[in-house]
Amino acid sequence: MRDILLIARREYQEQVRGRAFKITTILIPVIFAAIIAISVLAGKYSGSGKHFVVAANNAALAEDMRAQLLSDKDANLTVDILAPASDSDREKLVDQVSQKQIDGYLWLTQDANGQTTAIYAGRSTGDFSTASRLSGALDKAILEQQLTNRGLSSDTVTALTKGVKIKTRQVRDGREVDSSTLGSFFAAYVMAFLLTFTVMMYGMNVGRSVIQEKTSRIFEVMLSTVEPKSMLAGKLIGIGAVGLTQLAIWAAAAAIFSSTAVAATLMTGEFQIHVSIPEIILFAVYFLLGYALYSTLFAGLAATCESEQELQQYAPLAAVPVWLSFSMITFIMSNPNSFWSVAVSLFPPCAPIAMFLRIASQFPPIWQIALSLVLLLLSVVFVVWFSSRIYRIGILMYGKRATIPEMLRWLRYS
Amino acid sequence: MAAVVELDRISKSYENKIAVKDLSLRIEAGTMFGLLGPNGAGKTSSIRMMVGITMPDSGTVNLLGKPFTRESLKQIGYLPEERGLYKKMKVMDQLIFMGELRGLDKTVAGKRAHDWCERLQILDAAQKKTEELSKGMQQKIQFISTLLHDPALVIMDEPFSGLDPVNAVLLQDVLVDMKKQGKAILFSTHRMDQVEKLCDAICLVHRGEAVLSGGMREVKSRYERNRVIIDFEGDNAFLQHPSIAEFKDYGGHVEINLKPHADAQSLLHAAAEKATIYKFELMEPSLEEIFINTVGEKVDA
Repeated sequence: MRDILLIARREYQEQVRGRAFKITTILIPVIFAAIIAISVLAGKYSGSGKHFVVAANNAALAEDMRAQLLSDKDANLTVDILAPASDSDREKLVDQVSQKQIDGYLWLTQDANGQTTAIYAGRSTGDFSTASRLSGALDKAILEQQLTNRGLSSDTVTALTKGVKIKTRQVRDGREVDSSTLGSFFAAYVMAFLLTFTVMMYGMNVGRSVIQEKTSRIFEVMLSTVEPKSMLAGKLIGIGAVGLTQLAIWAAAAAIFSSTAVAATLMTGEFQIHVSIPEIILFAVYFLLGYALYSTLFAGLAATCESEQELQQYAPLAAVPVWLSFSMITFIMSNPNSFWSVAVSLFPPCAPIAMFLRIASQFPPIWQIALSLVLLLLSVVFVVWFSSRIYRIGILMYGKRATIPEMLRWLRYS
Repeated sequence: MAAVVELDRISKSYENKIAVKDLSLRIEAGTMFGLLGPNGAGKTSSIRMMVGITMPDSGTVNLLGKPFTRESLKQIGYLPEERGLYKKMKVMDQLIFMGELRGLDKTVAGKRAHDWCERLQILDAAQKKTEELSKGMQQKIQFISTLLHDPALVIMDEPFSGLDPVNAVLLQDVLVDMKKQGKAILFSTHRMDQVEKLCDAICLVHRGEAVLSGGMREVKSRYERNRVIIDFEGDNAFLQHPSIAEFKDYGGHVEINLKPHADAQSLLHAAAEKATIYKFELMEPSLEEIFINTVGEKVDA
């Protein structure tokens, strides 16, 4: 036991003092904040700053449409009116679009019965946010026009067409609490990403550390004093503690940040992010189990390799479960209790990430969490059994990479 | 008194190769023991079984008079052929860590590491990272980490490889000191000439088997002194003496192999009659010659 602690302490100190630890501790949250900020801003401002022409045979409709479009302050649009418009005007508009003087034009035709047809023509057809913005504005403009035609005052029209914003709340622990779909999505996204990132990073770290000890031939000295299992256990504990330290630093930084005034303004409205105590505990549990699974796997693989480059070749293989979980992120978020969501969240290599996405969107039944933890624990036990055998033999094999049949023979030893 | 190391017919095979076969040896306290043989003879495999890195397929290992236990390993210092240190660690931290692993208290380990660094003249490097040091310096650090816990048995696999002559002598002196303090020291090397003058007892291994073992004097006494070196001036007619099997004449310096059971003294008389003799040496066979004699092959030194 003393050996394990000594080895764990050495590993911990070396990693925490290392440059990589300092860089990732600072850089990861920065990159995170940047990604979120960019995606939020991009969503808000996409299709903004454009220049349109609204051409209509009905000048009043064109004017209403312009007013509607300009009312969206975020979009920052420039809208010109061409009314009443004729077919020759349309050719001019096409010219203007192709000469990039305008981004596009909306061609409105209203017949005597008040039926309106609308055509939008622009250089890009994949601009969904512009299309939905135009569509929303047009619906509203026509509705207002029709109401006005039926003799309602403009105040009444405004009151009638005023949109209603849906406020989302979440039912938790049998009570209704303030929440927001966006907020919980981000909370889940951040936690799942952090979990994946730290589990994989520290798993790889263990592998790299094994390879370094193998290439520096320090094993021979160490093994004449301590047992291989103590070395492996010490390494896993030491590096795992580094991971927990980093997570704790981030958590503390987040707690301090969220108490500041900047956070208070940022976190209002749609950006209320809820992280509860059970979530934090489960996060730690999934981190530890996920880390144990991946790090022992990498330790076993590393023991069969001769160099860090060789180990890197295995990395994509280990990343498959991560891709799988992430490719299902929107599916899991919107269908947290569907068969596939449950299946993926029980499958041990994916469990830490997938279950976390489910936890954040809708708390899954306790038995499912318990089952996923048990399955994860069982696979950890299996991988530890497998890897520790490979490790014991592999670390003393120099000169060539082990083949699969050789590894299988190693399993039978002792 | 019980031997520090006692191997009783240990064997080990890997996959399709027999690494060690029925090897037995005893190493007494206060002696230097040479485990000698060409590369791949099974020296490192034998050592690995002594220090518990691998287990023998058959046979027993006794350490310090008791059957093998991992507890005994704290009394052993092992310097492997493949040197390894933690590159990113500071020298002093590394030495203390290794000391603690062998059961030393942190302050004791620190004190001893300091003394050793002073003795081996590397105190300046104690606060540097290992990767910043030269190969020779790293060798010394490895050497200290092997001896820090004052082991009763020191095992050195190719201890002088890669060391310059000055440092080799420095380390050699340390080992001789330790022997005087009653420690047992095991050398394993294919450079037999390097340890010939140091060892009290030897075991020659070839293809996993011991081909020759015993006390150095006793082993050598089994072989005739049949090589003569003569430095002389004058007539070299004595080279036709009947006791000579073959010779190489370098002019004033000849190296002679005598016939079996030849009388070297009569050669000396014959030579002294005709020439002025500056040096007449009846050489005992070197370990390397004995080895070649025994296995009938050249050692790939």
